[in-house]
Amino acid sequence: MLPICLVNNFGQFNHLIKRMLRDIEIDAVMIKNDVPPEEVEGSYRGIILGGGPSLERANHAPDYLDLGVPVLGICLGLHIIATRYGGTVNPGKMGGFGGVEVEIVDHTGILEGYPDRISVWASHADEVKVMPEGFTLLARSNICGNEAIGNFEKNIYGVQWHPEVSHTTEGYRVFENFDRITQDNL
Amino acid sequence: MVNTEKFIEQAIAEIREKSHGKKVVMALSGGVDSSVCAELARRAIGENLISIYVDTGLMRKGETERIRELFSDLNLQVVEAGEEFFEALKGVIDPEEKRKVIGEKFIRIFEREAKKTKAAYLLQGTIYPDIIESEGGIKSHHNVGGLPYDIDFEGLIEPLIDLYKDEVRDVAGALGLPAEIQHRMPFPGPGLAVRCLGEVTPEKVEIAREANAIAEEELVEQFRPWQCFAAVIGLGTGVKGDVRLHGWIVAVRAVHSRDAMTADAIELPWPVMHKISSRITAEIHGVSRVVYDITPKPPATIEYE
Repeated sequence: MLPICLVNNFGQFNHLIKRMLRDIEIDAVMIKNDVPPEEVEGSYRGIILGGGPSLERANHAPDYLDLGVPVLGICLGLHIIATRYGGTVNPGKMGGFGGVEVEIVDHTGILEGYPDRISVWASHADEVKVMPEGFTLLARSNICGNEAIGNFEKNIYGVQWHPEVSHTTEGYRVFENFDRITQDNL
Repeated sequence: MVNTEKFIEQAIAEIREKSHGKKVVMALSGGVDSSVCAELARRAIGENLISIYVDTGLMRKGETERIRELFSDLNLQVVEAGEEFFEALKGVIDPEEKRKVIGEKFIRIFEREAKKTKAAYLLQGTIYPDIIESEGGIKSHHNVGGLPYDIDFEGLIEPLIDLYKDEVRDVAGALGLPAEIQHRMPFPGPGLAVRCLGEVTPEKVEIAREANAIAEEELVEQFRPWQCFAAVIGLGTGVKGDVRLHGWIVAVRAVHSRDAMTADAIELPWPVMHKISSRITAEIHGVSRVVYDITPKPPATIEYE
């Protein structure tokens, strides 16, 4: 089985995603976002876009969305997905830093198995203001209206919080769910 | 979690292979990372390892003496360099500049001493978070990239590069290092200098040193924090014995964390905070005020500078 591709968008927590995947025994390879999409195509069963400082440093990351495999975007990864499909990303009225209470409104896909309210950790000033077309709202919070979104047809998902950090409750579930989605897609 | 047995075996093989039977020098701080490195290297190459401990004058209370004791069976050279560091830090206020000055000084002193050993390789206890913070421009770490070595080492050996701190601790346990080292709290490379906001002076460092000792005494055993410390953050007006004191403000910080990537302040009981505040103001002349920092990481970092 092909591994999952983890795209390093230069965020502080990108390597923690790798560690999380290693801990739950999901085979993954980490690449920087400057690898041409041709080299990524066909080598992975799914793509995880990690967080990072700004969309300007996203390089080829948006192009990886066209490779026909399931994608999970985290923080900046979510912003990459939203802007690529016509949504908008702007600074929130307040940033989400540290603990955030998230309400899950749709458990389909990556949020399967979670209770309706979970405590997560976030670190972001920007947020998705307008959801892209074809996407469904999966979770929201007092701080940010679009905490998680998904396009079930394309198998593309994004979360604003960081499931990979130890302070997020049961963050591993997002990755286990994504892993299952990539295997169902084979 | 890292498989410690397999890791130790591989690390020993790596050090042996990469050092090509020549002498290897390392900077030992006594923290868990460099201690694990030293023990791995001792097992891999024995007498070919030379460890240098630089006393920057910015160490905690009793630290240098304790490290001498703990590593007495290692080929350890202690360099007293406090005065040199204070001289270099005169007038330096910007935190990044401070880190650079200390990093540069550290490297020069280490180079000077390392040259004498005629070692061919440099061993470093760099772990993954050091690289992430340096790459992301959050904080520069004195042992990561960018610093020019004027010494021609044939190569660099960094056996812990893929590990996180909690994993290094597991390896320390598996190596049979004393619990004191295995559970040693992280202490930043620039030492107490980053716990004295603004210019680093011997007076401020002495206050930070005493305050850190009190914070550790009151918190380490009872709360098992990932990290706890005290920082001298500025001046404020107080009154001690009916006399106005324009004294130092000391901030106490204690956090829980798994890997230093995220952290939250420990919810200390009021009597504990009260005791720390009374002890610091009573035992340290010149301190007028104590505050407890409740900010998580993010948005704060664990240390102040």
